Order: sequence, then C-alpha cells, then structure tokens
Amino acid sequence: MAEGVARPGGPYARGARRLGALDALLLAAVLGGLGFLAWRAGVALAYRWDFAPVLGFVLRHDAERGWVANLLLQGLFTTLRVAFWAGIVAALVGTLAGIARASRGLFPRLLAGAYVETIRNVPPLVFIFVFYFFVTAQLIPALGIEDVIRNAGPDTRTAIAWLFGPPEQAAGVIAAILCLGLFEGAYVAEIVRGGIQSLPRGQAEAGAALGLTRAKILRLVILPQAIARVVPPLAGQAISLVKDSSIVSLISIQDLAFLGSEVAATTGRVFETWLVVAAFYFVVCALLSAFAARLERRFAQRA
Amino acid sequence: MTWLTRRFLAPAAAVGAASTLIGTAQAQTPDARAALAAASVIEEVKRRNTLRVGMATFVPWAFRNRAGELIGYEIDVGTRLAQDMGVRVEFVPTAWDGIIPALLAGRFDAIIGGMTITPPRNLSANFTASYSASGVDLAASKRLADGMTTREAWNRPNVTISGRRGTSAIAAAQRLFPRATIRQFDDDAQSVLEVVNGRAHGMVGSMPRPRFAVLDNAETLFSPFSEPLARQLDSMALRKGDPDALNFLDNWIQSRQLDGWLAERQAYWFGAREWRDQVPG
Repeated sequence: MAEGVARPGGPYARGARRLGALDALLLAAVLGGLGFLAWRAGVALAYRWDFAPVLGFVLRHDAERGWVANLLLQGLFTTLRVAFWAGIVAALVGTLAGIARASRGLFPRLLAGAYVETIRNVPPLVFIFVFYFFVTAQLIPALGIEDVIRNAGPDTRTAIAWLFGPPEQAAGVIAAILCLGLFEGAYVAEIVRGGIQSLPRGQAEAGAALGLTRAKILRLVILPQAIARVVPPLAGQAISLVKDSSIVSLISIQDLAFLGSEVAATTGRVFETWLVVAAFYFVVCALLSAFAARLERRFAQRA
Repeated sequence: MTWLTRRFLAPAAAVGAASTLIGTAQAQTPDARAALAAASVIEEVKRRNTLRVGMATFVPWAFRNRAGELIGYEIDVGTRLAQDMGVRVEFVPTAWDGIIPALLAGRFDAIIGGMTITPPRNLSANFTASYSASGVDLAASKRLADGMTTREAWNRPNVTISGRRGTSAIAAAQRLFPRATIRQFDDDAQSVLEVVNGRAHGMVGSMPRPRFAVLDNAETLFSPFSEPLARQLDSMALRKGDPDALNFLDNWIQSRQLDGWLAERQAYWFGAREWRDQVPG
C-alpha cells in the first residue's frame, strides 16, 4: 500500500508539505474563480451589500451589561445544545441497535432492523414532522414536562437553562433532541454494525476459546476494535448531525437556522444573514473535523 | 359451550350498556357543562398564570428590535390581552406554514399573528371576531412591470409573482391571476428580494408590507395599484370546541375596539413607521 494512503490520520496526517508550481497555479485559479464570483455578485446582481444590521444580531452592546449575545449567537448556542444531546442519544441508541443488528438472536436483529430501515427510508423532513406532531406532541404534555419545568425552583431552572436553553422553550428542545437523536441513531447503528462485522471471526472465537462469556467477548474484544475502526465514519456522522440539526427549525425550535430566518425577515438582508449563518455552521463543523482527525490519529497509534 | 354463552349474553350486555349510557348522559348534563368550562383554555391560562401566544415573523406585525426582542402590532395585542387577563405572556415564534398544526398540537393557547380567516383554516380552527382589517397589495419592479397597472396586465403566463408560502396573499394572487406564475418563499424579505433582483415582476403581501418594500427600494420598486387587490379580516385562532375562550376573546376585542386602543396601535405600526429607529438597517 502506498505510504500516503496508509498514513494514520488519513488526509489530515502531518506529512511533508511543499508548495509546488502546480499547486501555486491551482491556488491562483481557484482564487481567481472566487474573485470573479464575488465581482459578479457585487456588480451584476446590483445588490447593495450591507452586513451591519445582520452583525448587530450576532453581538450587541448593552448599556448595562456590555457586549451580549444577540439572536444569531443565541441560535448557535441552541444548535450546539441540540446537537450535543442528540449526539449522545444517537450514540447510545445507535450502538445498542448496531450490536443488536450484528447479534445472533433473530428478535434483536428484527427489532433493530425495523428501526434502521424505517428511518433510513424516510426523508428527514417527513420523519421530523411525523415524529414531532404525532409522537412528542402527545408524549411531552402527557408526561407533564412543561408544567414540571414551569413550577421548578430557581436553581433547577438555572440548570435547565444551562443544559437546554430558556426554560419556557425547554420542552420543545427536548422533543427536538429526541427526534434528531433517533434519526441519527439509525445511521450510527449501521456504522457500528459495519465495524463489528468487519472484524475477523477468529477474534470472537479466540475470546470464546479463552472461556469468556458472550457479554465479555463483546465488551473486551469486539467493541474496542470495532469502535477504533469506525472513528472516521462516526466523525462524519457527528458533523452531519450538526448540519442536520437545522431541520429542527421546521418544528420552530429557536436554533441558528430558525433565528437566521427571523433575522432575514426582520432586516430584509437575506443574503447577508444566510452568509453569516453559513459561516457559523462552517466554523463549528471545521472544528469538529479537526478534532475528529486528532482522534483518528490517536486511535491509529494505539492500534 | 362458551360460544353459546357468549351468543346469549351479548345482546343482554348491549342492552345493559346502552341503558347505563343513557342514564349517565342524563345525570351528567350539569357535570358535562362544568367539565367543558373547566377544560377551556381560559382556565388553563389562569392556572398556568401564563398566556402562550403563537406567532410568526411578519414586518410590522411581529419582528425583532435591535436587542432581539419581539415588537410589532401582534406583540402589543398579545401583551395587552395578557395584561387585561392578569397573567404573563409568552410568545412562541413558529414557522407560518406549520402554525395551525402547532396550535392543534397544543404548543400555545392561541394564534395572535395577523391570521386572515379563510374557509380551509376555519375548518381546522376557530376564529374570534376580527381585530384588524387588512388587504392584499402588490409591489412591482420598475424595470419589468413598467406600466402594468391593470389586473389584466398581471394575469398573463409570462408574469412572475412572488409571495410568502401559506399566506392569504398567495391565495389571493392565485385566485386573481390564475395564468401568472406564482413563486413561493419562506418569508416576505426573500420575495421582495426576488423582485428587487429582477427575477419576478412583483410580490404580493398583506398591507402594509408591499408599501414598506416600495419605500425601502424606491429606485427599483413601485406600487401599481391604489386599491387593495383583496380585502381580508385578521382574527385570533383557537382550538375548536372552546366556546368560553371564544366568548372572552370576542368581547375583549370589542372593548378594545370601542375604546380606540386597537385603532391607535394599528395607526402606529401600519402607518408612518415611527418605529423605524428601533430596528437595525
């Protein structure tokens, strides 16, 4: 195998970096193309670019409290909260369903199979509408979560505000987290199943020969190796989840995409608003990418 | 044997069940009334001490000031209503095309969002008396729609009209200009932009939004019609089967109309835009 391909850390591996003549030429071509696009957007569109009103909705100066987060940053925090919790739900549900999919028993295989196939074969938009209006809209009021939050003491409310955002919206956020977590869990399940089934049979057989129970074989032999193998696709799924979290704006969760549309409607600066929103998503996802590359290198060194 | 028993017992059981039903229905009439009153959203609001209002962003009905707080005509109405009920108010910003399902799912108590009464909407939700009358207007591109000041001129296949998805203005445009191409967007700002960029001949919206668009883009847009294309009544929407809430809100609206408060708020928000220094841009 070629050295460049096998290098741990994949495309982000720290290797020799030299800028050749061809690279410089390509770089100039790309910059020229982007410059032309920007010029066209400025001249041909006859659009007066004005980022000031939109940037005022990122941060604003308050006479008493100094600089405070305005709508777009608040939306970013909501997006991060939703993505974080949904990621945990997806990891738990996905790992369990992945193990079930790779198990020997027919019942767990069928159950997890039904879950994965139902979600994979429905568009995210349809899933979130159906799940939200038919399931969580019935479940959350039935559990009385909203009243519990409303009647909670000040300390609990502060804790809720930290974990899920403004308490009066927390019930909706929890519903959205469940929707998104279950949706992404199906993809995580397939990744985990792929990791488990990619291991040679001999690994499980060796564990059995040592007299380990099936649970111990899974925990000590199979899962550590399987998870190390699936770090790159899992990281991709995590980045996907951050971007997919924008679909919760359809059920009116006050995330970055929803508040972005509010800001666009209020200021009338549609292009500027969405460019700023895109920059926010890009920064978050690029940071996740960099973190995933580090993680990948570490797992590769250990293996 | 069991089959036989079941066969003989079944009619008897049915008669028994029917008589109990009739009996309880008669006995429960006063209870049922009390239960209906107790189930009213008014009672829920009082118990919760908070009125939850569903709305969507429409300038100048409900939008954001520099501090990111909600302002606008509907925000004033919701705040005053809650104040008169002696409860707090909580606004729930909601995507407009999903606002009726969200009401039915119980995410808020009423829609106070400049919603126009239309038969399809009224089949799934109840509407109060109207608390503001508005109309559908059109803002047109000076370059593309020069001289198009008759309705006939707009009802042609090569004419493109933009508007906001799920609004009564879109419905009016489809009714009045069946031959034109209608393009729908998620908010008014996008549909204005479409006209400013010359990709649509005009945008439809509830008054006064198209007029504000013309004022903001005086060099590219103009108002082709002096009269509204259609007149409409805006009302608060409630879940069905709640006569108490309907009665309360109807009377509240009537009182606020009589004392001139609603008219004064409409003049402020829909008139000369005295609120402009509150918003950025």
